[in-house]
Amino acid sequence: MARIKIHVEYEGGWSDAGKPLLCLDTGSWRSVRPVLDKEKCTYCGWCALYCPTQCMIDKGEYFLPNFDFCKGCGICGKECPQDAIGMVSEGAFKDEDKDGK
Amino acid sequence: MSKTKKLSKVFDYFKDEDPFSGGLTLCPGCPLELLLRFTARVLGKEIVFVGTPSCSATVLYGQNTRSWHKLAYYSCLMTGVASSATGIARYYRKLGKDITVVAFTGDGCSADIGFQPLSGAAERNENFIYITYDNEGYMNTGIQKSSTTPVGARTSTTPVGETRRGNPNPGKNMPLLMAMHKIPYAATATLSHLDDLAKKLVKAKEKKNEGLAYVHVYSPCPTGWGFDSDLSIAICRLAVQTNYFPLWEAERGRFRFTRKTAKPKPLKDLIKLIGKFSHFTDEDLIVLEKEVEERYQLIEGMARTWPLNA
Amino acid sequence: MENRGKVRTLTGNAAAAYSAMLCSPDVVALYPITPQSEVIEQLASFHAEGLLDAEMVEVEGENSAINVVTSASMAGARVFTATSSWGLAYMYDGMLQASGFRAPVVMVNVNREMPGILAVSSGQQDMTSTRDSGWIQVVAEDCQEICDLVIMAYRLAEDHEIQLPVMVNYDGFYLSYLAEGVNLPGREDVDIFLAPLKDQPPRPVLVPGEPLGCGTHGILEGFVELRYKHSVAMERARAKFDAIDGLFKDSFGRSYGGQIEEYRTDDADIVLVVSGSAAGTAKAVVDSARDLGEKVGVVKLRMFRPFPRERMTRALRGKKGIGVIDRSVCFGWNSGPLFMELKAVSTEIGKIPTMNFIDGLANTDITTEHIVKMIADVRKAAAGEPFQAVTWVSLEE
Repeated sequence: MARIKIHVEYEGGWSDAGKPLLCLDTGSWRSVRPVLDKEKCTYCGWCALYCPTQCMIDKGEYFLPNFDFCKGCGICGKECPQDAIGMVSEGAFKDEDKDGK
Repeated sequence: MSKTKKLSKVFDYFKDEDPFSGGLTLCPGCPLELLLRFTARVLGKEIVFVGTPSCSATVLYGQNTRSWHKLAYYSCLMTGVASSATGIARYYRKLGKDITVVAFTGDGCSADIGFQPLSGAAERNENFIYITYDNEGYMNTGIQKSSTTPVGARTSTTPVGETRRGNPNPGKNMPLLMAMHKIPYAATATLSHLDDLAKKLVKAKEKKNEGLAYVHVYSPCPTGWGFDSDLSIAICRLAVQTNYFPLWEAERGRFRFTRKTAKPKPLKDLIKLIGKFSHFTDEDLIVLEKEVEERYQLIEGMARTWPLNA
Repeated sequence: MENRGKVRTLTGNAAAAYSAMLCSPDVVALYPITPQSEVIEQLASFHAEGLLDAEMVEVEGENSAINVVTSASMAGARVFTATSSWGLAYMYDGMLQASGFRAPVVMVNVNREMPGILAVSSGQQDMTSTRDSGWIQVVAEDCQEICDLVIMAYRLAEDHEIQLPVMVNYDGFYLSYLAEGVNLPGREDVDIFLAPLKDQPPRPVLVPGEPLGCGTHGILEGFVELRYKHSVAMERARAKFDAIDGLFKDSFGRSYGGQIEEYRTDDADIVLVVSGSAAGTAKAVVDSARDLGEKVGVVKLRMFRPFPRERMTRALRGKKGIGVIDRSVCFGWNSGPLFMELKAVSTEIGKIPTMNFIDGLANTDITTEHIVKMIADVRKAAAGEPFQAVTWVSLEE
């Protein structure tokens, strides 16, 4: 008689958000990334509001994307009322290390 | 040059942090992703999502025992969304607890396969919020036609070829159909007008205490409609500005526009950006223009005859 | 225990409604279909009279009915709904959800013919067509048993070792509209009988603000494990049903034998296997036959799902001939479903001539004459004569 191994603790189909959330490495999807010209920024926040991944981090005087999750969709670049965000090819950053240097 | 650094007031609507994981399985530029995160932040972390197989299910549902977000949710089939939301809302009503159940589906569910239970729940005035994200088709399964697909649009089940040219039917005016149930609240909204959307979500949350609150959100699909991911918000905005998707709300059958465009832009400005209309001839455009015009006049007439005072 | 019940004259539908009311459900979904409509009508009037403190949802279709009760159940409610044939079919997707989620839903299904040819008449095709839905299915023989089975169904469904939806079946037209004397338990006694369910550690339920989500997407082994657990829970339901029968006897003085009732089978040569109201007729025929010295008995099937394989095997082993009465058809096998399922345990029962009698479809009565002939046919088969495996009784000249 074969032994059966059961790991799931529930009887039914429950998921538990008390465990670490599932997370995809969506930052690796990018082919372009937003680059902010801080001089033009008026801290209106529309880039952060329109960002579908809501990955913009409030830096106090401007917002910067969290590149772990920025998918490079380009909406922030398109919507910025001051035209302060440009979309730059990821190729320009291929030599940077994990800390963005 | 001195710049006034002033944050948009839309941020004030956020009640809680974004409960969703940072990396979600939704296409870049997907308005649905924005809608999900925005809705959760505005309505707060005590909501219960009710979802169904769809693009949203990929993030609303868990995978085995893990989850993509921190909120309580209930998953069911497309036929069961409004009725499942009813069951949860009714039981908590019996317990005397005020909770916010948010049924969250695409147009394929609310206008097609889930329409009967939605209509039934509206007729009975059940206490929950129902949000439809309208991407005008069944996107998760491969861009098939739904009953909100506009006339002439190319989809994988209404292709353009020798014998046919896209969707032959004008589609259901879903938000109007829901408003005609005389529910306490029915509204249209979209992702370009976030202040308007936030106000409507907050109002829906309040109105659900009286009965069904329905919000229909225009949510263009870059992958399915054929446009670059950076245009999602711009297309939402154009849809409003061309009167293709007017922004209105209705309370128990009384209507008002929440945004009126003084000089609507030509529909062509919207259509030319979207790949599913790329086969359009001038005649095709006239047909769609007529449909858009009629729908707008209908709402205008309702707002004039049965106005909702602000 | 002192029997505080009151005998009332109730139709099968009324018995089901009274019994459900006594169990105090929190959420009830109501949608009419012949021959069940009186169940929900009666529940609605209980609610109007203040006898039933429940959220009454007059849904717009049976699919909504099952979804309403399943989601309420997953939020922690005790629930009830009722349907029949086409309504059951319309519920099917929601039914799979209820059992897959392990929702302790109790539902009355008044057996009516299905599918295909429209028939507003009795038959068990609805129950047998949904036997793979993962629900527990039990069947009543008379109005008293309907009343008692609903109470036992809650005790079974809400037991945390089970946590499965239970369908209580009874023959439409024969029982739904038949008035019989029913000893209706007092509400306090039903409360006491169901009270142990509250003492269990709480099951996971849907709570706003809590991180538990109901209805995860099962991937690979995650799915398989849950499916296995479901299957194993079904296995546990057999013994649990027998145990509940014993507890019911202690509380209310009535016992039915659990998964099956063995009526005069101990020394019987010939046994009829039957479920539902026809069992009553079969028992009457068996009594007459016994008076004439014939050694016949009836095994009444009460639990259809899970199939009572051990008890059925023990009851039938060593018999000389078996007649299985089926009130539905198993397409693709040209026989009835109960016959098919018995065949599956034939190696355990032993090689015994077994005949299938398809009878009672679409309100064609299963008469005493039919049953007398069935016994005679099985006796001939038991004596070694060649026999016809499957007989469509009402069509034979």
